[in-house]
Parts: sequence; C-alpha cells; structure tokens
Amino acid sequence: MKELLKKLSEAFGPSGYEDGVRTIIKEYIGNDLPQSCELMEDRAGNLYFHCKNEDKPRLMINAHMDEVGFMVTGITDTGYLKFGCVGGMNPIVLGAKRVVSERGIKGVTVAKPIHLLTPEEKEKAPTVDGMCIDIGAASKEDAEKYTDIGDYFVFDSGYVEYGDGFIKCKALDDRHGCAIMCKLIDAIKAGACTDFDLWFAFTCKEEISYSSARCASEFIKPDYALVIESKAVQDTYGVEDERKVAILGDGAIISFMDNSTVYDRGVVDHLISICNENSIPYQLNKYISGGNDSSAIQKSIYGVRVGLISAPSRYIHSQANVVKYSDVEAMYEIAQRLITGPNSIVKE
Amino acid sequence: MEFIKDALNRLCSMMTVSGYEKKSKNDISDLASPIFDEISEDSFGNITLVKRSCKANAKRLMIDAHFDTVGMMVTDIHEGGFLSVINIGGLDTRILPSAEVSIYGKERIYGIVSSVPPHLKKDKKSSVPKIEELYIDTGYSKEKLEELVRIGDPVVIEGGYTELLNGFVAAKYLDDKACLCGALDAVRRMDKERLNYDIYVTVSAQEETGKCGASLCAYSIKPDFAIITDVNFGAVDKDNEYETVKCGEGAAVDVSALADRKLTRGVIKYLKEKNVSHQRICEPSYTYTNNDLVSVTGLGIKTLLLSVPLRSMHTPVETLCLKDIKSLADIIIELAYTDLEAL
Repeated sequence: MKELLKKLSEAFGPSGYEDGVRTIIKEYIGNDLPQSCELMEDRAGNLYFHCKNEDKPRLMINAHMDEVGFMVTGITDTGYLKFGCVGGMNPIVLGAKRVVSERGIKGVTVAKPIHLLTPEEKEKAPTVDGMCIDIGAASKEDAEKYTDIGDYFVFDSGYVEYGDGFIKCKALDDRHGCAIMCKLIDAIKAGACTDFDLWFAFTCKEEISYSSARCASEFIKPDYALVIESKAVQDTYGVEDERKVAILGDGAIISFMDNSTVYDRGVVDHLISICNENSIPYQLNKYISGGNDSSAIQKSIYGVRVGLISAPSRYIHSQANVVKYSDVEAMYEIAQRLITGPNSIVKE
Repeated sequence: MEFIKDALNRLCSMMTVSGYEKKSKNDISDLASPIFDEISEDSFGNITLVKRSCKANAKRLMIDAHFDTVGMMVTDIHEGGFLSVINIGGLDTRILPSAEVSIYGKERIYGIVSSVPPHLKKDKKSSVPKIEELYIDTGYSKEKLEELVRIGDPVVIEGGYTELLNGFVAAKYLDDKACLCGALDAVRRMDKERLNYDIYVTVSAQEETGKCGASLCAYSIKPDFAIITDVNFGAVDKDNEYETVKCGEGAAVDVSALADRKLTRGVIKYLKEKNVSHQRICEPSYTYTNNDLVSVTGLGIKTLLLSVPLRSMHTPVETLCLKDIKSLADIIIELAYTDLEAL
C-alpha cells in the first residue's frame, strides 16, 4: 500500500481540482471489473465503486480526495503572486515553503525578512495578507505568461519514511483514506465476499466544509456509512495529556464525537467489537476537535448511521503531514472486517 | 553559467553550520583544487585558496566569502523521540514550524519541527513561537534516539535546489555560498598573465556567529587589499528600496563607513568607465558582514564590500538570480587585473 500512498499523496489535488487524484484512482482500479461491480462518477466530482448486492443493507465507505492548497488572488506590479488559502491553515506553517502550481510552475512563499522588521513586527506571527509567492518573474507581464488569477498551488513536499515507521508527505490527509479504499476494492475484485450492497465514494471539497460527500449520500442513500479520515492530534512533547487527542502508533482512532458529529453509537460499538474480536489496535479520541465528511453524510437524506475511523496525524494542513503506517494498517483491517462481516451492524 | 549552476548546487548540499564547517572541508578541496595553486586550512576551520600571478613578489588581494550557515544545535532529548534545539546564528523562528530538518548525529537523521494545526489552536491569535517552544520530531523512541544523537549535534533546515523562472534559484543556505561560488568562478576565468595580484580566496568560518573567521585569515595573509563578498537583501515586491538591492540587476558595491572610502569610490568610478554593470547600496555604519572586523585587523586593511542580492534571507528558500553571481565574478576579475592603489 505504501507505493500507492506515495503516488496518491504526491498528486496534485486541492479542493475543487481533484482531477489528478481521481485519474490515479481510476487507473488503479482499471476496467477489468467483476460482473457485479461498476465504476462511475457524478456531477459533483465524486468517484464511485459499486459492488451490487440488491436488497442487502447499503453501506457506503468514504474518503476525500482533496487537500488544502492556495489560490492566486492577484499579481503585483513586480511579479509576485498574492494568494488565499483553500482550506484552513495556521499561517505560522506557511513561511518559506516550496509550492507548485497546477501548471507545474515552482515557487516559494516569502514574507518580509526578519532583518528588515521593526521590533513590533517581529513579535507578530506572519499573516497570509503579508505573504506572497515568488516564482522568479521579472514583472507582472512576465508572471502572467506562467500563471493567472485563480490558479491553484499546493505544497511541493514529497513522501518520506522516517523514524520507526512514520510517514511524512503533504496531503496524507486524506490520501491514506483513498489508498485504504483502493486496497479494499482490490480485495473485492479478488473475490472477497460482502453481505452489503457496498459502495465506495471518493469525494471532493472536504477541506472547505461544503463537501460533495453530501451529494454522494443523496445518490447512494446508504443505511450505514464509514468515513476513513485523518484526525489532527498533538501528541508532541510538552503537550498536556488531555490535549493530545490521540497517540500515533496506538492504533486507529474510533470517534464517538467531534466538533461536527455525534457518531451513531451502534456503529461505534460495532467497530470497537471488530477491534476487540480481532486484536486490532484502536483508541478513542480523548479531546473533541475537528470535523469531516461524516457531518454532511449523517445529516443528508433521512439521516445516515455513520461511523468514523481515522489515522492520528501530526502537523495536519502543513507541508509535513505525518501518520504512522501501523495505524493505517489497523484502519484497513477494521474496514476490511466490516465489509466482509455480518450486515447486522446495529443490534436494536 | 554551467560552472556556477553545478558549483552552487554542490556548495548548497554541504553541511557547514557555524562551528561545524570542518565536516565539509574535503568537499571544498575537491571543488577548488582544479582551480587553485595552493590550498591550506587553519585550526579555526578557515580554508585559504591561493592562485599565483606571474609577477615576482606580487601584492596580495584577499577575496573573502564565508561558507558557514545558520542552523540549530540539539540541547535535549525527550520522551517520544522529540529534541529541543537552540539556534546557531540569527535564525528566523517564524519559518520553523513544519520545516524539515537533518540532525547530524552518529548518522544523518530526518526530522520535522513540530507545529499546531488550526483544528487544535488554543486561541485565534497566532504568535511567533520561541525556539524553546518548538520540538523536533524524529519518529524514534527516546532510547533509540540517545544512541544516535548527542546534545550539541548540529541541525540543518532542509530544502532542495529549486529552479524558478528566469534563471532564479531557491535553495537552502545561498548565504554566503552564492558569493563563494562567484569567487570560484572568477578565479577559474582569470588570465594568469593579466593578474596584478596573488589571489587569496578565504573560505571563512563562523561569520554567522561573530564574524571571526575572515579576520583570522586576514591576520595571517596580511593582504594589501581585501574584497569581502556577502549576500544583501534582495527587494521583495515593494520592500524599502533604499535598504534593498534588486535581484537580476547585478552584484552591488556597498558603501559604508567601515569599507575603505577611497577604494570604494575608486571602484565605482572604474566600473562605470569600464561599463561593468553593478548596483550600489549604502549601509552607513555597520555592514554586518566580515568586512567590519577585517577592516580593523592588524594595522588596518583596505576593504571593499561587494554583495549579491538575495531574497528570503536565512530561510531554506533563499532565492537569487544566477546572473548576479556571474556579475560578482565579472567585477572581481576586472579588479584583480587592475592596480587598485591607482584608482
């Protein structure tokens, strides 16, 4: 799965321009599908893989394809690009970073150098307004040959394995979810049996809160949904235990609640029992924070019973997003047992 | 330009955090030995490269470029594989969160400077983190890390060599390897027959931590003239134009109370006459370069300060135009052929 994870994470795919990621997934899944399976897209940009099992409870597995990025909002007379963020970012991680545009133009983010700051300015954190992208253009006219207002940029930051089983790349949020879904589809194609009418939805625009997962849910009308995500944690040195959220390496996070969703207790209990029965490492989030596609799905159609498994992730929404591979493997295990297990998820 | 590109790329990949320059002395020798007649080093970590003229008892022209860089040093090893660090030289902590680093312990180890995502920020206001509040994430256990890293090991902020448009390059630590690259290119292109001086290129240590290396070199060389080369602030968008120089418009002659007045004015006049393109910038008192200490070394040394415009100084994406390095080399060659006393 690592090779696929690298390819997906390094692909260009900010919210609203997920085409590159979608293409990789489509190519990976291929055209040689079993009779009962189908690959399709909708107008919202979602990509679906359907494993037909009529009259069975409908289960939707979901991961989003988009990543945080930047959009050019203006070009200065001297050829620098002003930009806005696509998705939420802490401006403190934006200084002096390499970025690359949808046209492959490379640039670096610049703020006023520290030597030229007044003492008051030195105390202040950089703001997006005070920054621009330097592409080496000689003037506005020169810059306009290579870029335009509305062009997307993303972090130019590759895949690195480090320490004891850690992975760093831009956009691991949520390409690891896409990679897990691709591997689950591999298992279905190889003959794994499911007792669900099973759908996989690769969705768009999660990072800007108006997620196309809502459209996916309207289209599929699932009974149950499992969202596979990244969860921002802060398990670094010096952080109070109760604020760490979860620990990298302690297994997949099963959430009972976050800032946008109270998860279906029946689904949560089912996920926990899968872990207990199969000795899969998991943890519960110890701090309420963040949100994801679950919210849009849960509150669509007549209401959907939704559950979440997520990879504890450090430095999310920066160039150096980090996950531990063993947690990603645990998530695959949970999802795989769910789709091949009994379809009576909630015992009334 | 091919030489400049290749040499600059090689120089930027060398680990030369202030105080740890000796780790890369062999790499410097490999790069310089085809160009120079003599190479020597001193106890402080300075390397002196000599190119002889054809004149007997020639006067000595020193050309200085420091090769140390800002960086960090490990100060503590914590549970969970996190390191505390302190800065070496003037580091801009605003650019540290989420930066990637290399720790030079028993082996080179990859690390990431910790940062807080928007989801978990305590308050809406963002402040500049102090270096004591940042930790380097290595992904190892404390026990494993203690085998690999010791307190005092140097840490480098990583960044590749990225080519931008119009011959611009973004890389880590072009300060001051850009000028060293220019000095090497100049000497490589010098016609020995026309040299008016024996040329002493000093690859000096610890400029970023007290500007000491070059002064030690000057003391032992006792040059008749010294050209100090360093980077200067390249204007970004509408930065104060009187405090900055423009990337792509050539190297600059710096006018300062601490550079020799007669030599500086003479050189500006001479370059104009010869139609050698250059910019000028004024730093009324301190220049914050090796110039300041070298000028008062021994019985005093006549110094000239030349600079290459650099944007995003002291970050892993320092950005310059390769043309400006060639411009620096062109100026140095012109001056090495001239009787500087007569200007």
